[in-house]
Amino acid sequence: MIMSYVLAKAKNEEILKAGECGGAVTSIFKYLLDEGLVDGVLALRPCDDVYDGIPTFITNSEDLLGTAGSYHCAPTMVGDLIQKYFADKKVAVSVKPCDIRSIDELIKRHKINPDNIYTVGLNCGGTVSPVQARKMIDKFYEADPNDVVSEEIDKGQFIIELGDGSEEAVKIHVLEENGYGRRKNCQRCDVKIPRRANIACGNWGAEDGWTFIEINDDVGQELIDGAKNAGFIETKSPSDVAIEGRSKVENIMKKMSKKNQDASYPLVNESDEWNRCISCYACRDICPICWCYKNCELNKPYFKDEKNIPPSPIAFQGVRLSHMSFSCCDCGQCDDVCPMDIPVSLIFDKLQKKYCERTRYVAGVTTDSKPPLYSPDKVEL
Amino acid sequence: MLEIKHTLCPSCSVGCGINVILDDNSIVGTFPYKRHPVNEGKNCANGRNSIENFENKILEARISNGNVDLEKAIAEISKEIDSSDKVTVILSGNNSLNEASAIKSFSDENNFNLAFYANDLGNFEEVASYNDIEEADSLLVIGDILYENPLIGRRIVHAMKNGAKIYSNIKAENSVTVNVSDETTSSSVEEFLDNYKGNLSDSSVVVFNTVDCEGDLDKIGELESKVLAVYSKPNTKGILNIVDSNSTEEIIEILDDTDVLLVFNDDIVDEIDFDFKSISKIISLSAFENNTTEISDIVVPIKSWLEYDDSFVNSMGESQDFTQVMESDGLSIEEVIEKIKG
Repeated sequence: MIMSYVLAKAKNEEILKAGECGGAVTSIFKYLLDEGLVDGVLALRPCDDVYDGIPTFITNSEDLLGTAGSYHCAPTMVGDLIQKYFADKKVAVSVKPCDIRSIDELIKRHKINPDNIYTVGLNCGGTVSPVQARKMIDKFYEADPNDVVSEEIDKGQFIIELGDGSEEAVKIHVLEENGYGRRKNCQRCDVKIPRRANIACGNWGAEDGWTFIEINDDVGQELIDGAKNAGFIETKSPSDVAIEGRSKVENIMKKMSKKNQDASYPLVNESDEWNRCISCYACRDICPICWCYKNCELNKPYFKDEKNIPPSPIAFQGVRLSHMSFSCCDCGQCDDVCPMDIPVSLIFDKLQKKYCERTRYVAGVTTDSKPPLYSPDKVEL
Repeated sequence: MLEIKHTLCPSCSVGCGINVILDDNSIVGTFPYKRHPVNEGKNCANGRNSIENFENKILEARISNGNVDLEKAIAEISKEIDSSDKVTVILSGNNSLNEASAIKSFSDENNFNLAFYANDLGNFEEVASYNDIEEADSLLVIGDILYENPLIGRRIVHAMKNGAKIYSNIKAENSVTVNVSDETTSSSVEEFLDNYKGNLSDSSVVVFNTVDCEGDLDKIGELESKVLAVYSKPNTKGILNIVDSNSTEEIIEILDDTDVLLVFNDDIVDEIDFDFKSISKIISLSAFENNTTEISDIVVPIKSWLEYDDSFVNSMGESQDFTQVMESDGLSIEEVIEKIKG
């Protein structure tokens, strides 16, 4: 189908008030739940505070209001949750670009049934680690991190809203030059709009109070038409200026990412961080692409090497690199969970980019049925 | 229905946060708790695997390896402790603060021997915070902290990146801590402390999870640096605020003079090299199977840390609350004690 754009907003006043830029995403989830099209919605909700977003499965649409809003300080992933725990359920899920990229790779591996999920994409300028976010606000803003009620990344700034309704903003490049701001992999990520999701939503190019939606496939079109016909959203066409504005934002962000890639990829060759590896397998276990679990080659006697700590890089990360680096979606979860702060994702991302140069395959973006080197049959060595 | 809930890791005294994934009140996995200030979503293998204990959850009381009614097992415990004047109670770093208070009161009221093992690491009233490690200008590290307590190890890595000098004392042949150290020795701890105490300042920290002997603790205490002991159980530091710990030798001495051993959620058999068969009756109150429950005459199931609200105190002395994340029909330690008292 030909890609199309629409502006949408909630018709429900409560959602309109609670949701970001018109509340279209929450309204579409409500439509899916109320019409019985899904068993539940997997989305983020703040747990202890605005920095503490955790995935939650919602089966009653009245609970959706608690998920409204944006959570840039919650760098979570949902692909593996869907794969492990929702195989027998029909699920709607909100996805960042790295979420849908990992879901796409798992679909290619027959680990997620695409007919069982509706994917509502969220444009993403990057995420911030929650504890770092609090330190950053304490250091760069005239505000107590505890007083922040919401945050936003917009127009090159990290913006916080305080309990008294006031806002403060600091340029992201200033924060990042000082070692704060977005996570490193988000800084170099060049997929900002999740076009493999059924629809991709955001405020880039949108008028105030409206969500700009890119409809990516027939299911996405059905979603918009269904939600509109059932009275959950109203829509209108975006102006050419809005479409151009959105494209401009995307291109600026991709340009920034390229600059960050050029700055960080050479560091792979200089990295001496691997000698801190304790073989805890946290990077493997969190990876949204690694799905072998207990059948992982690294658990096999011929690769298991508990005596050598740190392990031989070839025997440990070498095996992982050969198994899945071509499918790395640079979500950065391996960096996030490494107890030794090894920048694991950097080497995987760099190799994916090398692979892309040779094959044109971008993990979770290219619509080829399988990555060129991938074999779906797991062969015992 | 799938839920993700916050809790604390029970694997050591660092006090890391961890999220557990529940599906219809069953634990099915863990999920990074990135908002937690101690570990920011990073957990070691022991932490992530801590939920595997639920595969060995004790569901029924037993006497002499045969399942029995809970009330019968508790009545048997009452009978055993009433008929002996050599009862020893093992308090554990696995016990939460309220549990520990209840166990101590119970032991005091009945004039039992109370024994508490704290890895032979003693108790230091003034302890370093985790931020102190990161901001130190030099560190003395005793034990392979990076490998054994990685989320303290991470603070050592941060200190190294901040320019701190790292001196380590490690006996193991393979060690990751060596790779972040400026100098490493495998000498005795006493010799190590003597050789490197001149490199310490007010902002230095001594981090350790092992020593050679009790005298090393005195030497560490004499240094003018901040100190951080890392214990193997989540609330050892909290319990040290309630009772004094016993050394391995003292524990063995107490066990030698014990007829009835009452173990509260601990695996002392795994920790202390002793002929436990010499004790007439071993009674274990435990959430999970372990080496001690395996040889116990009476076993009573209790709630795990995921099934009640309470607190642990981490290595740096910070009290951390945890809340019940799953429903349970079981009894808490306090409830079992009340039943034993009748």
